[in-house]
Amino acid sequence: MATISTALRNFKEPTKEQQTQIGFSLPQSGPLDGSEQGTAADDIERMDINAVLSMGQQGEEDSYAGKLYLMAPFLCFTSLDRRSVRFTLPLSTIRRVERLNARAGIYALSLSLWNGLKIIVQLTSLRPTADLFCSLLRDALKVELQRGQMKLCKPFAKTCYSEFLLASDSDASSSSRLEHEREDGSIIEQEKKPDGEGGHERTYLGGLGLKFRFPGDPKKLREASKVKLWTSYLKTHGRNLTLLRYPQCTRLVQVGLPNRLRGEMWETLSGSIYLRFSHPNYYVQLLKDNEGRTSTSTEDIEKDLHRSLPEYAGYQSEEGIGALRRVLQAYSFKNPELGYCQAMNILAAAILIYMSEEQAFWLLEVLCDRLLPGYYAPSMHGTLLDQRVFESLVQRTLPIIHEHFQSVDVQLSVASLPWFLSLHATVFSCIKLSPAYLSFRYINSMPMIFAFRIMDCFFCMGPKVLFQVGLAILKINGDKLLAIQDDGQFLNLMRDYFASLAESAHPKSSDPRARAITKFQELLLVSFREFSGITEDLIHSERKRFRNEIIHSIESFSKRSAIRNLRTLGQFSKDQAGLIYDALYKAMCIVPPPSTHQNVQADLLVTTANGEGVEEKPETRIELKTFRYFLSEIATWARDEKIVSNGFQQRVDREVAEHEFIDRLFFFWDTSCKGALSFQDLVNGLDGVMFNGLMENIEWFFNLHDKNKDGYLTKDEVLVLSETWLFIFRFEVGDAYLGAISRFMTNAFEYGDALLPENQDSDVKESEGGGSPPPHVSSNQPYLNLPTFRMVVLADEILESFFETDMSASFRLQPLPEMELPVSSSGLLGDIWSTIATDSNKKIFNMFTDELGKTIGKHQVIHRPSIGRYTKLEEPKARESLLTPSMRRSASKSSLNSASASPSVGLTSSSTLSVDSLAISSSSTSTPPPPPPAKDTATPVSPVADSERGPLPVVQPAMLERTPFAIDDVGSDSDDDEEDDEEEDDDEEEDDLEDDDRVMDEVDAFLEAHDSGLSEADKAVAKDLLKAEPMK
Amino acid sequence: MADSASGSSADKSVQVKLVLLGEAAVGKSSVVLRFVSNEFQANKEPTIGAAFLTQKCRLEDRVLRYEIWDTAGQERFHSLAPMYYRNAQAAVVVYDITKASSLDKAKSWVKELQRQANPNIVIALAGNKLDLVQSSSAAQSGSTSEAEDEADDATATPGETPGTPEDGSESLRQVPREEAQAYATEAGLLFFEISAKTGEGVVDIFTEIAKKIPIEHILASSRGAAGRPGAAGARAGNAEGVNLDESAKPKDACNC
Repeated sequence: MATISTALRNFKEPTKEQQTQIGFSLPQSGPLDGSEQGTAADDIERMDINAVLSMGQQGEEDSYAGKLYLMAPFLCFTSLDRRSVRFTLPLSTIRRVERLNARAGIYALSLSLWNGLKIIVQLTSLRPTADLFCSLLRDALKVELQRGQMKLCKPFAKTCYSEFLLASDSDASSSSRLEHEREDGSIIEQEKKPDGEGGHERTYLGGLGLKFRFPGDPKKLREASKVKLWTSYLKTHGRNLTLLRYPQCTRLVQVGLPNRLRGEMWETLSGSIYLRFSHPNYYVQLLKDNEGRTSTSTEDIEKDLHRSLPEYAGYQSEEGIGALRRVLQAYSFKNPELGYCQAMNILAAAILIYMSEEQAFWLLEVLCDRLLPGYYAPSMHGTLLDQRVFESLVQRTLPIIHEHFQSVDVQLSVASLPWFLSLHATVFSCIKLSPAYLSFRYINSMPMIFAFRIMDCFFCMGPKVLFQVGLAILKINGDKLLAIQDDGQFLNLMRDYFASLAESAHPKSSDPRARAITKFQELLLVSFREFSGITEDLIHSERKRFRNEIIHSIESFSKRSAIRNLRTLGQFSKDQAGLIYDALYKAMCIVPPPSTHQNVQADLLVTTANGEGVEEKPETRIELKTFRYFLSEIATWARDEKIVSNGFQQRVDREVAEHEFIDRLFFFWDTSCKGALSFQDLVNGLDGVMFNGLMENIEWFFNLHDKNKDGYLTKDEVLVLSETWLFIFRFEVGDAYLGAISRFMTNAFEYGDALLPENQDSDVKESEGGGSPPPHVSSNQPYLNLPTFRMVVLADEILESFFETDMSASFRLQPLPEMELPVSSSGLLGDIWSTIATDSNKKIFNMFTDELGKTIGKHQVIHRPSIGRYTKLEEPKARESLLTPSMRRSASKSSLNSASASPSVGLTSSSTLSVDSLAISSSSTSTPPPPPPAKDTATPVSPVADSERGPLPVVQPAMLERTPFAIDDVGSDSDDDEEDDEEEDDDEEEDDLEDDDRVMDEVDAFLEAHDSGLSEADKAVAKDLLKAEPMK
Repeated sequence: MADSASGSSADKSVQVKLVLLGEAAVGKSSVVLRFVSNEFQANKEPTIGAAFLTQKCRLEDRVLRYEIWDTAGQERFHSLAPMYYRNAQAAVVVYDITKASSLDKAKSWVKELQRQANPNIVIALAGNKLDLVQSSSAAQSGSTSEAEDEADDATATPGETPGTPEDGSESLRQVPREEAQAYATEAGLLFFEISAKTGEGVVDIFTEIAKKIPIEHILASSRGAAGRPGAAGARAGNAEGVNLDESAKPKDACNC
């Protein structure tokens, strides 16, 4: 009943390069799921260079200093402060690159994009660097041209609403657009006109909202004003694939995206649009390829389809449910390891209101993969990790609240867990559960709107938003939180607060403008202004800090439940079962079993075949390969251990042994004949051998080799059994065991022959001949039964002692050394070290020292024996009494046989001998060996990790000393240009004007100082460039 | 309604923390909704993390105030469960009588609770969706005893649990009443078959638990420490983060 996952062990901290990629919302490089090979673009070297960005149109925006990155197939830029300005351009959108003719010493490029947008970048690095950058850029563009990506821009843009918005705006036929739209942006269904009416064909993608309307009151949301502001922004700053993010963009997002544009902006801001762009038809094909497939995920999805935002009209229709089903299923097919997790249904349902299925699919991919890594994984490690990070941030920034929670034993996670899991979306929908909600039914979709606005910010600014909003919620409710005494009161307080988000934050203020500020606006302001110190970098380093702690607690939790879920422990104690689990776990880390989803399917098949449903739960089972490794951890003979000393170091090289015996054991323990063993099977199997006495062991060993279980070993099986012994004893010192096995074979054959049924004619003849060769026995004929076997074994002291104690004792449950978790290295040193200290490098290092050792004559290899009972060379004598003289006489013949059957063993033992004596002599002379390299990996890292733990100056304890909000005195603050713009729109209704004003008020509330990173002189140069002509 | 939001400590009633556990979609949230608001919703959104509700329960001699933690059922939320059942004095483990596997999951929850949770925890096993296997008449007789205005203070109506009807849609049933009953007796659990849809048996669970809870014990411990019972012990271990660590639990109440 247990599934064991080693996925957490495989976690690797993103490299510096990957972090940069994440920063630009780029899709992860490399093939999506192995189906495609890496593109030629991957071969092009990556490069970054200092640059100054200017817009192609004068006066539109300031110039910003920053860094330009070439990461084919993308060109990216970020300003020095890494938040004011940035863009991510697919190279295929670039149509022309020209070197500008400018003042001496200035190296500037003008980039023309496919839609006419012009960007100027001034490369401020040294001349050769700039030249190199240009040539790389040229190569990368060529590759894109050859791939035919350039042609795809235009058709792709047609699927984006922004293009439609601008087209209809510039046509001055905006009336034609408005005609079909309701105020909230949904489409008014037209009566079907007979053909010919092609002009109004909708080419852009959109969500269910187009048909079932968007939640919220469009008047209150000031849709019209927002659309207007965005139209002008997108016109000048690019859109969809070519969007340039200037400060205004972020601020517009913070006041809430307009309904129509929301879906597209989500995919643009989150970067999922690049995935959709580079994988046309993938979604459709994925669904087609997996049509009719079922899994536990699809079952779970089915359960929840009607439980996802059920109050939204779209999800009361088959159309909405169908879309939701397809998107969730497609994701579960794409990522079967993750499959489906509750909460994803609510997210998917939310985004499908604003985007098409294909868009939603890619956004879900980005969400689960990059934005919320590990949140929805079966272990939910990402969620647990971020809860831990959140708690530590609370401790840092709101120490008083944290202290209070500690003192009354309130767990932050009881409230904050759903905030993170569903991007605050369920929090608002959960209000439904509260009795308070019942009396507030009229607000209905209101809370959902707030959730969407948080999602706007989340997609634009990244996961830090969740932390910022979470902290702000706590801070705003600080006074009340200090009064709570238990978890329940905490949750009630939060629930009441969420229910009141639409209310005024300052109901008693005399200023009508202040009164108009809702608690939700207040929440966002506090989030982004007072917790601006919560950056992606901070979260990244915090995650690093707590990752191992979380992995450890998840692993120990799943270990405990795996042991608890065992049907029987046998004679093992819980701790011993734990050791078995550890060995299994380690084996699975090193030789992972086939991916679990295939197992799940197989198990499901079994279940339906039985019809009994006995084994409903998928159970982790290991295959033979993993089993070999597992056994090598437990049984001393299932591994080849070589003690190598070469004068520099002494180490134990351990290799997994392969032998038929191990395979035999595997199938012997596979009682349910599944070709794979579960944890329970292993426990049962070990239980069957580790607690045995002499007689039981003999029987066990006998049964193990009695393939058809008829109570007799055939002659072949006797040989196989002897080979098993040879295998087990292969590294024993001396010839004692070899002798014992020879004697066993002699005796076994003699007794076996003697016991053969008399009625065989051939026997009769030959037994008359006396000393004639042994009778011919067909290989599969029953030959040796258990009592005879027992007798023969007990005739030999060595074999007896083997069965009495040694065999059971060769299975050893020892605590494994704590496995190394992925090293959380940071900084330059850590990076370098992690690239050096790989396994293969260690091997090379070992080989190198071995070679050195050989040349100086200090290289020795000793095999560690599995049993190690006889360390001396003399052979213990066989028990005389049990054997008749006649039997002993024939012994010599067959002992010859067996010796020739295993010459290798003889060799090994003799070579071991010679080495052994050498080892003794040299160990006294050699210098103390250096510590094994494995330990070294940890040491250079620790000081770095320590320095991280130091106080972070950025985040100041801000508890309970709230600064007045900027919005309170927003009037004086407002940006003149924008005000002017608004006033020019004379034809607008007054009502609208006021609305626009309010939007701008809100926008201005988010106004921050943006440092362009340029001096006045630099700015003049940048301005000059706008007029510069391309070089001839 | 019943819930006065912040639980004023001046309240005379005894607070009892109760947690609901069970496989996904067996109807945990519906049972709570029935108990707290006497309502039923066909398509309830799945619980993320856990939902928190309160409801009073009146016995002859005392009033209990249940703090109900309704947890998420999907398997992967399992590791979060300890966060919710820590310090719980009562648990309702729900399974679906029309789904055999859900009883297995319930058993594993019981096992976990008995080993890891508060040693004095009162556990009730509840087989939900009784309405699906009942003939329509039987279902109605169940709901008539349920007065509509009873939601506020769910009064104790310790009625006898109706016998299993042997007719009609009984074929949907996958878990025989006897089997579950036998298991419950063996494991020392209260046992009920209920229907959140019709309301049958739902209130009984909570009143029976209320009777079994060692109130004096709770009162004594809450009078002593400033916090809640068991709080101090858990805090001593590891008060930070999602506590998955067994060592932080008071004592292993292993009776297996």
